[in-house]
Amino acid sequence: MGKEAGPNGLIVKQRSGLACGNSSFHLSDRDRKALTMRFHGTFIFCRCLSRLPKRFDSQSEFPHPDFRRQAPFFLRSYSSGIPLFNLFMYSEAQAQLSPELLNIMEKRLSAIEYRTACLNKFLNQPEASPSEYAKANKELRKLSGSVDLINELRTKQKEIDGLKSLMAESSEDKDMLNMAIEEMGQAIEEERRLQNLLLKSLLPKDDADERDCILEVRAGTGGEEASLFAMDIFRMYEKYALKKGWKFEVVDIAQSDLKGYKEASSAIAGVGVFGKLKFESGIHRVQRVPVTEKLGRVHTSAVSVAILPQADAVDVQLKNEDVRIDTYRSGGSGGQHANTTNSAVRVTHIPTGIMIAIQDERSQHMNKAKALKVLCAKLYEMERLRLHRSRSKLRSEQIGSGDRSERIRTYNFPQGRVTDHRVGITYHSVDDVMQGENLDVFIDALLLQEEMDAIATFSSSQ
Amino acid sequence: MNLSLSGVYRPHSLPKLLTYSSFSTLCRPFCYSALSSSPTCVKPQVPLFLRPPIYSTKLCDLKKWHDWGKGVALSIGSTFVQSDDGPDSSMLCRELKWLMEDAVVDHSLGVEDDDRVKMRIGIEGLYCLWKQRVQERRPFQYVVGCEHWRDLVLSVQEGVLIPRPETELVVDFVADVVSENEDLRSGVWADLGTGSGALAIGIGRVLGSERGRVIATDLSPVAVSVATYNVQRYCLQDKIDLREGSWFEPLKDMEGKLAGLVSNPPYIPSKDISGLQAEVGRHEPRVALDGGIDGMQALLHLCDGAVLMMKPGGFLAFETNGEQQSRALVDYMKNHRSGSFCNLEIRADFAGIQRFVIGFHQ
Repeated sequence: MGKEAGPNGLIVKQRSGLACGNSSFHLSDRDRKALTMRFHGTFIFCRCLSRLPKRFDSQSEFPHPDFRRQAPFFLRSYSSGIPLFNLFMYSEAQAQLSPELLNIMEKRLSAIEYRTACLNKFLNQPEASPSEYAKANKELRKLSGSVDLINELRTKQKEIDGLKSLMAESSEDKDMLNMAIEEMGQAIEEERRLQNLLLKSLLPKDDADERDCILEVRAGTGGEEASLFAMDIFRMYEKYALKKGWKFEVVDIAQSDLKGYKEASSAIAGVGVFGKLKFESGIHRVQRVPVTEKLGRVHTSAVSVAILPQADAVDVQLKNEDVRIDTYRSGGSGGQHANTTNSAVRVTHIPTGIMIAIQDERSQHMNKAKALKVLCAKLYEMERLRLHRSRSKLRSEQIGSGDRSERIRTYNFPQGRVTDHRVGITYHSVDDVMQGENLDVFIDALLLQEEMDAIATFSSSQ
Repeated sequence: MNLSLSGVYRPHSLPKLLTYSSFSTLCRPFCYSALSSSPTCVKPQVPLFLRPPIYSTKLCDLKKWHDWGKGVALSIGSTFVQSDDGPDSSMLCRELKWLMEDAVVDHSLGVEDDDRVKMRIGIEGLYCLWKQRVQERRPFQYVVGCEHWRDLVLSVQEGVLIPRPETELVVDFVADVVSENEDLRSGVWADLGTGSGALAIGIGRVLGSERGRVIATDLSPVAVSVATYNVQRYCLQDKIDLREGSWFEPLKDMEGKLAGLVSNPPYIPSKDISGLQAEVGRHEPRVALDGGIDGMQALLHLCDGAVLMMKPGGFLAFETNGEQQSRALVDYMKNHRSGSFCNLEIRADFAGIQRFVIGFHQ
């Protein structure tokens, strides 16, 4: 898979295979092609959905993508240089998963069917206690989506078997044979569609994707210039958030001498915010001529970005006795003695020592609320990272593993391009990106990569 | 107290939170207790951030004002801090920013210097306000006409005590108690010496949409007027009853019936009044601060009244001058009113001062 420049000057370089740790599992080229086709299709389709809500208002429309009509419109806007897309555009068939993957999936499906049968049997017993009953019901509900699909798949597979025998029997009758062949084609198509949907439903999902997030931007190496770029990056996310219709609320800003941001944080709220922004965590590198530079030399600076999913006290099991809240205490007695507009609050989490200080809201209560919000997000993130590291080595090497010191993106101003190093995508307009446009180019590719990693994990865990 | 439209409210200056239906209730007289003193008509002032944007000024002039204001703030340094524990330059700069936020309508970026910016006060008014702040030490909250307290924005003006951040905790104490006690949650609560109505509104919101009600009293007609305005802004006029009068006097019909009693009464010893920070001593109402010789005059009176007025199991919370007063108050309640109260506790504020006495009536 080589490089090709599309009409927008977009260069895409595919990662070559996934070698992972001790496992000898390796996605075959055929699987990769199939998956890429399928997932690109799904991606384009999801983008169709999000951009054309009026055209798809009923659930039943979902399972029947008609890429002949929609796909070309979106494919042209980016990534059209990939030969795989050409393959996909002109083929109307659903991608077929490889036998190995199907085998693995089949084992999982059988396990689900077996489990469902056990649960149903259990529920039919009169001796079950109310709490056991509730637990069993809850699990059944979770599985019900997959179970419905499995049943549909089994039905379709029976239909295919029936058609096979019909075709074998009616080798003389041309009309019957043709009809059978046509129906077989449709049935196989449908079977593949169901298998794709099932695969997707079996992949591990990140619960945190639905949450709001806290954005933290910190100037790294490069002095004043880094602070100025930190401010630019912070504003880039603000514009991106506004375009998405999200709420962007500044939590804290520490300014540098030249009015750059040494550190800045904000709370971003909206649907699925964390799922979209989580890949922004890491080191963003900038190459440009700083405003302070008199000789016109290009400098390299770095800014670190952290995206934390928002959590509340319940999520992190925050206990009142674990939290100490301090306010600024003047020399005087406070209370009625003092008139103050300083309602700064410092919240300390005693077990971990994490300290958050917020001062810019106009009431103490609001400063406290904000500080607790940030504290909960940090505690939640700590727990997530701990869980993540305890998982297989395979998972921890994948995209979104949360290594904050990873250099993920370079913004080259003199050459007018932004490159994401994880997916190898370069976009040829720094200004557009800094205005909050086109971040989706990177984000969508990263989401795709994440799905592919998830499939690798799924396959290797059998 | 009758409010006639023309006398008090110009239609376009109505607070945004008032809907048309509550607009009409303004014309009806409020149901004050017949025992209250003769009604005085006091106009509550509209906070700056709610005033209509009928002024405009050029952006360059606004910037000039801001630079001047900042210069004045920076020149103060720590002189106020040293003289009477007043604000320092950084606090004043932040207040200047908030003053501008309240005064200016549109904070959009990319406006040219010559463009006009919509404002809720004339530019001369802004100069005047900031001079008052720095030269006369007029409290910031009076300057902008409001105070952000808990998750509320309350109108305040001269004659009304500015709600303190410490007092925010009293609402949390009430919330904790009623979360486990349906009986208290649907009872009648009293906020005595309500001032701006802060505690009454805070508690009113905690009691939710069930049957709980609040009666708030204050000696000062100005306070009652401002509290009424605030209660209406938060659409709680059906839940909060405002009565003018001294402490329990307007509550004679509630003897033995109160489910809850809260108060932030004046608790500063008289001798300390003259040494107070200028913002407080020169501008806030003395009657809301002076607690007599030991500062406990009002608190003791409230304890005595609580014995009579509260129902068994009722909850009380008082704010005090801290440490010594809290202990003295608990002593009084245990020894001089023994058998009347139980589960008495002293709670600290976030600066670590033992400021609150809470407990139950037996």
